Amino acid sequence: MATGDEKPVMVVGVDESEQSIYALEWTLDRFFAPYAPNFPFKLLIIHAKPNAVSALGFAGPGIVEVVPHVDADLKHTAAKVVDKAKGICESKSVHGAMMEVFEGDARNILCEVVDKHHASLLVVGSHGHGAIKRAVIGSVSDYCAHHAHCSVIIVKKPKIKL
Amino acid sequence: METYVDATGVDTAATTTTETMGKQNKKKLNVMVAMDESKNSFYALEWAVEHLRDVISAEPETDQPGGLLTLVHVHPTYLQYIYPSGGTASAVYATDSVPESMKKAREESTAKLFTRSLEICRGKMVKTETMILEGDPKEMICQAVEQTHVDLLVVGSRGLGMIKRAFLGSVSDYCAQHAKCPILIVRPPRETSTTSK
Repeated sequence: MATGDEKPVMVVGVDESEQSIYALEWTLDRFFAPYAPNFPFKLLIIHAKPNAVSALGFAGPGIVEVVPHVDADLKHTAAKVVDKAKGICESKSVHGAMMEVFEGDARNILCEVVDKHHASLLVVGSHGHGAIKRAVIGSVSDYCAHHAHCSVIIVKKPKIKL
Repeated sequence: METYVDATGVDTAATTTTETMGKQNKKKLNVMVAMDESKNSFYALEWAVEHLRDVISAEPETDQPGGLLTLVHVHPTYLQYIYPSGGTASAVYATDSVPESMKKAREESTAKLFTRSLEICRGKMVKTETMILEGDPKEMICQAVEQTHVDLLVVGSRGLGMIKRAFLGSVSDYCAQHAKCPILIVRPPRETSTTSK
C-alpha cells in the first residue's frame, strides 16, 4: 500500500453500542463515501475488547470457572462488532479500510494506536452519559479528547425529540 | 488479530454506480469554528481548513457548491472588569456598564481576530461567514450550533490538565458534552513533534 503513506490516517474507535455504529456511519458518509475511490484519509477501524478479568470486576474463588465463559462471550461480541463494521464499509463502498481488534482498556488502546500510526484524526462515538455517570463509569470520548495526541471528533447520535 | 478489507477487486460496474450515488450524496459540510484570541483557536482553524479542505471546499470542475464555514467569536460578559464605582454594588448588568473605551477596544480586537481568520481561509475556495455573540462562551456556542444546524463544530483545546480544567472550566469539554452536533477538538501541536503531519 504505497499510496497509504501519503494520506493522513484516520482512526475510528467502535464498540458494540449504537452510538459507535452511528459514528462510523457518519464518518463514512461525510469523509469517505462521496470521494470514492480517492479517499482523503486512510481509514483504520479499531475495536477494543475488554479483558475478561477486568470486565468481571470481582475476585474470588469462583472466578476461575466463570472466566472462560465471559471470555468466549466477549470474543463473540467482538466478532459481531467486526462483522458489523465491515458490513457498513461494504454498504458504503468504502474499500481499503483496515480493522484491528485489541484487548484491554479502550482509552489506552485508542491513544496508543493513534501514536503508533501517527494518526491525524481520531473519531469516537459518545454514549451521552450525564455528569454523574461519567464520573462513575468514566468516558472514553472524554479521555481521548484530552489525551490523544491528535485531533478528536466526538460524534453523538442525535436524540429524537418527541 | 488483524483483518484487512481488500482494496482490490472492485469491478467497473460497481464503481460507476458508486460514482453516480456519490455525486448525489456529495453534500459539502457546514462547519462552525469557535474562535477566541488564543493561539490554539487559530491553530484549530488552520488545521480544520487544511484537513477538511476536501469536505468543505467547492469544486468548480464538478460544479459542486461548497459548504459554509462559520467563524463564531463570543464576547464573555466582563463581570470581573467592572471596577467599583463609589462602592455601590451594581455589577449585575455587566453589558450596560461597560465603559465606552472598553467597548471600542473590544471591537478592535474582534476585528483584528476576524481579519486574521479570514486571511487563513483566503484562497481555500470556501464560503466564510463570521458571527459575533455575547455571553458565556460555552452556552452561546452550543446555542449557535442549534440555531444554524451545522454539521460539525471545531474548537481548539488549551491542553489543560485535569485540575486546571476543573478550576478554569473548559469550553471544549462543555461543548463536547452539550453540543447537538459532532465536535472536532483540535489539540495543540506537541512541542517535540515527531510526526510529519
